Amino acid sequence: MSIARFSPFELLLLKSRSQVDTATLLLLAWVLVHRQQVSEGQRRRRLAQVTAQFRHGHELGPVMGIAHSQDLQAIQLAAEVVRKECSSERSLSILHQAITVATDDGELSLSNHYILGFLADLLNVTPATFNILFHELTGKPLRPAEDPSRDAYWQVHDPEYHAHKANTAKQKADEARAKAEERQRANAEQQQQNQQNKQRQKEKARREKTKQEQAKQEQAKQEQAKQKERRKRQEQTQQQERRRWQQEQTRQEESRRQQRQREHPSSPPDRTTRALAVLGLTPGANRADIRRAYRRMAQLHHPDRFYSGSEHQIALASTRFQRVKSAYDYLMQNT
Amino acid sequence: MRDLYQRLTLTPDASAQDIKSALARCPNSALRQDAETALGDAEHRDAYNKLHKTVSDIGQLRARLGLTHGAHWQGDVANDFSLPPDNAISRHDELIDRVSLAVSLYNRWRRFKGPWLLVTLFAIGAGIGLAFGLTLGIGLGMR
Repeated sequence: MSIARFSPFELLLLKSRSQVDTATLLLLAWVLVHRQQVSEGQRRRRLAQVTAQFRHGHELGPVMGIAHSQDLQAIQLAAEVVRKECSSERSLSILHQAITVATDDGELSLSNHYILGFLADLLNVTPATFNILFHELTGKPLRPAEDPSRDAYWQVHDPEYHAHKANTAKQKADEARAKAEERQRANAEQQQQNQQNKQRQKEKARREKTKQEQAKQEQAKQEQAKQKERRKRQEQTQQQERRRWQQEQTRQEESRRQQRQREHPSSPPDRTTRALAVLGLTPGANRADIRRAYRRMAQLHHPDRFYSGSEHQIALASTRFQRVKSAYDYLMQNT
Repeated sequence: MRDLYQRLTLTPDASAQDIKSALARCPNSALRQDAETALGDAEHRDAYNKLHKTVSDIGQLRARLGLTHGAHWQGDVANDFSLPPDNAISRHDELIDRVSLAVSLYNRWRRFKGPWLLVTLFAIGAGIGLAFGLTLGIGLGMR
């Protein structure tokens, strides 16, 4: 066993006339340190006031110092002493003192909410008793702790931040809209120009056409008479061909449909090989292999395995698991 | 109260840049929004860090005192801040061990104080005698 030096709190505890009182003192100081909007002097006075009847017989300064340094080992030692030495009446009175110290004429801070919960668990006080005690002492029921890890908390406690954020978002949206409008305008102008150009060109083309057509019309009239006869013959032949073509197409489609219906239960083998690859198998594996591979992969990738990991890891695992499962389902249906 | 750092696979001392990149690859949009509000703003992050420190301290204390399944330790907090039970020896037992060791050392010192005093006195006397004899011998040799 290594001979470590005695820590300040251990020395205090050894010198103290009543170890329980010293330990309680540290726990109350810990609660006080986590109270907000209170000056250091006020904290000391409050601690002295609450612990006037304690029999520890040493200064309060070092205890406050230890509580300020958040010395976890000291707090653990104090908690152990308190738990070991306290009767149920004494533990209720300690909790009583802790609640008054944490809340008198102020709000219960979030840290103290958790600290009081810890003390209540330490002293074996049920939530029902604790709630009654809290209600009697403060006149307000104990509400569940607010949660600063959620957006809703900050919407209540820092509305300016959200207003600011909304404003910036609006500005961005406005800028984006303005840009989009400019682009549209530019496009519209370009289009107009293009259209004008086209119209001019068209007009030119029309004029030329009309001249040419007038010349052509005379020639055409002569030729038209000859061509009409030819066209009639051609149209007749074309109509016949079209009918034949349509008939053939309908036949082909029907045959295709039938083929599809036949093929449907065993759709492209490509998908089967892919599903097998997901399970880490080569083509030609039988059902027993597939089942064994699926079991192994499911055990490997089940999201419950990553329960203690981050949400990102869990999400990744569940997508992998989903892929494995759909591959397995597909293979079981189609082999 | 959830441990946003754990949920984003970050450490509490992550830089703003780390947080930004973690947010960018976070697939859960609700979590992303919460984390952006709580960790994106410097003031919010300070407040959150303070509470985070206290609650993780309490998680550690609970693990050491066997209180990880207390009635006042439920829901998100218990999920995110509970640590596996700590096998560290009870602080109080350790203190008692150390005090008893110190006491036994002290007692031994007291018990051996008499003999040790004799030994040291004898040693000092012998030293002085030797030195005296040497100087005497050297003095005689010079003559």
